[in-house]
Amino acid sequence: MRELRFPKELYLGEQVDAALNVFARFGRLERDEDELTWIVRVHAASAAKERRLAGELANYALGATIRARGER
Amino acid sequence: MGDGSVELFVDESLYPLEAVYGASFTFLDRCFVFLDRPQPGRLRVILSAKKLGASPEVLREMVGEFANELLACAWREKITERNRATIEAVTMQAIGGAMGPPSLDDLEDFDFTEEPFEDPLGIAMSWEEKYGKKTAPPAATEGDEE
Repeated sequence: MRELRFPKELYLGEQVDAALNVFARFGRLERDEDELTWIVRVHAASAAKERRLAGELANYALGATIRARGER
Repeated sequence: MGDGSVELFVDESLYPLEAVYGASFTFLDRCFVFLDRPQPGRLRVILSAKKLGASPEVLREMVGEFANELLACAWREKITERNRATIEAVTMQAIGGAMGPPSLDDLEDFDFTEEPFEDPLGIAMSWEEKYGKKTAPPAATEGDEE
């Protein structure tokens, strides 16, 4: 299992959710949150797949956040 | 460095968040990028190679290129901020021009008493003055040739 903690002040929650929807079919993703962060736990068949899935998901969330902030 | 990833700490007083976003965006296709803010005014950028087993040289090159891109983005951000008033003025003029011809009420309110602008080089010429038909000189008569 790999845990990603996206700071709420840097990542938009709806864009993290969008990333979860896009990558849900590649593994098991759990969404959680605390006061300061959006938390995503990534489960996949192997450690290498988890690493790649977590990385691509984080990239998607960051790219979508940047694009959404630019449109505001 | 470790686990095929490298960390870069960024002082937000030197590099604004928008610049960090800009640099990060350009690296999304090359590596995994993760942003964090471990303390106020300080950002942490984690770059991870997409393929496992990246050598320290590759990681060093990656972080160096990111730092260069970050500097370029910060500079562009500064220039944009400095020229914001000019950009807004030009945009407003363009939008104002696209709103169409003035109405009769606008023309009625317009102040036509203003002095014409100065033209010390004499380059302000009407189309008629510049390209209009010239009056032909009087034709020479046979008697003139003698």
